[in-house]
Amino acid sequence: MASELHLRVVTPDRTIIDRKVAGVSFQGVDGGYGILPHHAPLMTALAQAGVVQITELDGKKVDLFAADGFAQMQNNVLTLVCEAGEFAYEIDLARVKAAEAKAREKMAGLDRLSEDFLRAEASLRKALAREMLSRRGSGTGGLH
Amino acid sequence: MANLKELRGRIKSVASIAQITKAMEMVASMKLRKVQAKAQSFHPYTEEIRHMIEALASKVSGNADVPLFLQREVNTVGILGITSDRGLCGSYNSNLLFALRKQVEELQAAGKKVKFWCYGRKGYAWLTRRGYEVERFFVEPALDKADFSAARLVGKALVEAFESGMVDEARLFYSRFQSMIKFVPTNAAFLPIASIAVGQDAKKQNFELDFLLEPDATTVFNRLMPRYLETVVFDSMLQALASEHASRRMAMKGATDAATRMNKGLKKVYNRARQENITKELLDIIGGASAVS
Repeated sequence: MASELHLRVVTPDRTIIDRKVAGVSFQGVDGGYGILPHHAPLMTALAQAGVVQITELDGKKVDLFAADGFAQMQNNVLTLVCEAGEFAYEIDLARVKAAEAKAREKMAGLDRLSEDFLRAEASLRKALAREMLSRRGSGTGGLH
Repeated sequence: MANLKELRGRIKSVASIAQITKAMEMVASMKLRKVQAKAQSFHPYTEEIRHMIEALASKVSGNADVPLFLQREVNTVGILGITSDRGLCGSYNSNLLFALRKQVEELQAAGKKVKFWCYGRKGYAWLTRRGYEVERFFVEPALDKADFSAARLVGKALVEAFESGMVDEARLFYSRFQSMIKFVPTNAAFLPIASIAVGQDAKKQNFELDFLLEPDATTVFNRLMPRYLETVVFDSMLQALASEHASRRMAMKGATDAATRMNKGLKKVYNRARQENITKELLDIIGGASAVS
């Protein structure tokens, strides 16, 4: 095939994806990135919590949740190294809801500039991103 | 007669000891397998992080924005010791602590202060017993259940100590898992980060060293750095854990074998004594019968 790139998604627990795809888009710290085959060499940091959208070789789209990661494009191989990553269908909505509630509760009693607040905010952001992705995937409302 | 009864009791207790050590051996080998699987699935992550940091190091070298690189005069050395929580694992802990003690004595002879961080109860007990002060003892989560967030906690504590100037150097003390029967006490430098071999790996992998960096090198580097340190800590934790289980497996195998051997010997003695008794009784009976007739 003429236009494909190799995608590797690696987390501390496992290698989630290691195969050829047609394209990837993800959120970096400074905005969205769209990576197509033979993209120039690149290195960037991923957003704290975001969605990675993968376009498969047959044009189908797959969503992936990724948190706290880095992206590196070299020799037509895109490597995403993240702390956490899972497919939309792997997300346990009940657990995410619980995490969201916990983060909100924590934030309520904290100084807005304290480190704990920032940490709680980060986990809230992760929970919300997971929730959005999960809802979008199962077609029960959400954004799209 | 009392001798026979005593022997019977000993045979029984030795057999039950063998059973227990056998069970412990099996548990340890199962845990070892689990840790090894964990280490295996963790390996690609470490590799990727390392590649990235190597590629990045060339971009930020000579940049004073990264304090973790700065070598300073060493007055105080921080040591993180990783030992097991439980005993019955052969010489695993004592080997490590022996090496640690040697190192500490060397450092103290050179007029340097040493501060300790500790993972694992055995190491903590050892240090406090010898009057060393432990800066922080990580209890939760137990090393057995330690995951990546535990490594983050430990890494952060060390980085904070380094940044605040409490220690001028941080080292990791743990047992590196070499094979099922070999674990080497390892003393690894942690902070400041020694020069990372720039470009060597890249050449091997045919990397293009000229790449886009967004937003900029320092930002990415500062975000990548803590990740890198965490992976180093987590890797050493996994190594230590694997060594512990392998060491316990070996110790328990030895104990089981010894108990089985001992049981065999005891049984022989018991049977001989029993046979002797029977012969004696027979002789008594025959002697009695011939006296009557």
